[in-house]
Amino acid sequence: MKKHGYGIGSMWYGIGSTAATNPSGAFVDFLDDGTAIVLSGCAEIGQGSTTVLAQIAAETLGVDLEDVAVITADTGVTPDAGPSSASRQTYISGNAVRLAAEKAREQVVAKAAELLDLDPVDIRLRHGQVWYEAEPTGRTIKDIIAQCRGEGILTLGHGSFNPVTTNLDPATGQGTPYATYAFATQIAEVDVDTETGIVEVKKIVAAHDVGTAVNPQNVEGQIEGGCSMGIGYALLEEVAVKDGKIQNPGLSSYLIPTALDMPEIFPVIVEATEPSGPYGAKGVGEPALVPTAAAIANAVADALGIRLYDLPLTPERVVAEIKALDSLKPE
Amino acid sequence: MDLFQLEMKVNGEAVSVPVNPGLRLLDVLRDVLHLSGTKEGCGEGECGACSVIIDGELVDSCLVLAPQAHNREIITIEGISADGELDTLQSAFLEAGAVQCGYCTPGMILAAKVLLSKNPKPGRQDIARGIAGNLCRCTGYAKIIKAVELAAAGLQQKEGEAGV
Ligand code: FES
Ligand code: FES
Repeated sequence: MKKHGYGIGSMWYGIGSTAATNPSGAFVDFLDDGTAIVLSGCAEIGQGSTTVLAQIAAETLGVDLEDVAVITADTGVTPDAGPSSASRQTYISGNAVRLAAEKAREQVVAKAAELLDLDPVDIRLRHGQVWYEAEPTGRTIKDIIAQCRGEGILTLGHGSFNPVTTNLDPATGQGTPYATYAFATQIAEVDVDTETGIVEVKKIVAAHDVGTAVNPQNVEGQIEGGCSMGIGYALLEEVAVKDGKIQNPGLSSYLIPTALDMPEIFPVIVEATEPSGPYGAKGVGEPALVPTAAAIANAVADALGIRLYDLPLTPERVVAEIKALDSLKPE
Repeated sequence: MDLFQLEMKVNGEAVSVPVNPGLRLLDVLRDVLHLSGTKEGCGEGECGACSVIIDGELVDSCLVLAPQAHNREIITIEGISADGELDTLQSAFLEAGAVQCGYCTPGMILAAKVLLSKNPKPGRQDIARGIAGNLCRCTGYAKIIKAVELAAAGLQQKEGEAGV
């Protein structure tokens, strides 16, 4: 018989650890042709950080995204940005790039103000053009940079971001361990086959507060990927260790979800602006996976009326629990 | 060991190379022909990162010995775009945001290519089945499936315009 259930899982997750120093540095160089180069040690491992850093620089500099080149993770030229871990790069390196871009921008704005005889606070840079409040001035960023070059002024900036390092109170364990937090709730719908013990995830709705979504398509991708890892964690993945040796070291024995194991996922992006983040952004990397297994296990408990405490919820475990419950029932 | 004179067609071009017959097709492609778009993930036929198309079928090149590719026609990821123009599937993957780390991508695109050659109007389930032998750890497959849907629609439209 197939039994149907719904489950919910919620989480919060720290972004920007403050337990130890956690810095990132960036250089932003406005080039002669009005394009820009961002240098950051941030390693792109597929999460989309290079795109996000380019977007943050473009927004700050007032140039189009195509006019920003990002050089990352090259110890020969890029400043240290710390690891791509702990869901920190958008928040930490994003802030570093924003600060560096602001400095580069200041050079251009100051020169433009001088040439146009305007107050720098009224100057805006948009799409490679210099604006006076809401009006284009007819001057391009490229012109202004040429002027700077003629006078030997460099149009580059460096930025560093390091959330204030705090210490937890050793007596109470209280303090501020992270600069900010991400929040999420996921709901899973499952079918459980009571004869085979197979749990089929039918649907996942995943709502994540990520601060400002710098790149919504990337955020969705992170959420969907996190859900698939969460499904693996809930139903399939277990490192079997015997006498200190891993028994299932290959993908033939350690199973991860295939396309056929994936339900439709409905990512919901909740944009609660984080004042300390770059343009209000936080992080989403790890949070995407945190509540999935809990939501699925709760859905299985809802379907069967049995709570399983060991992951993964393999068919063998599910069947064993159903049998154990049946054996307790009076004949 | 005697070398084996391997003759095959790779991405439309005739290739003839002396190889150690114990090499896998994957090694020939990557190390002899320097076509490094084909990836090695597991080396045991489980992940599909090494997928290539042999005579129209999707095959894990880590499970093929070089002599087995003799006189066959191989297509790798390098062979699906012509004259610097991306293949419809490649553009669709970009548009849908279906590439994260990219390690599975060459195999995924070739799997989708074979699928669409056999079933030009696949449903969601057909697509999932078509790429089920190709593991992706990053995307959760959602945007990959979306990309294949986009490509299928794009190909239909192209055919319509060509009056086929
Ligand atoms: S490398 Fe061939 S299937 Fe994984
Ligand atoms: S994009 Fe990373 S494995 Fe698929």
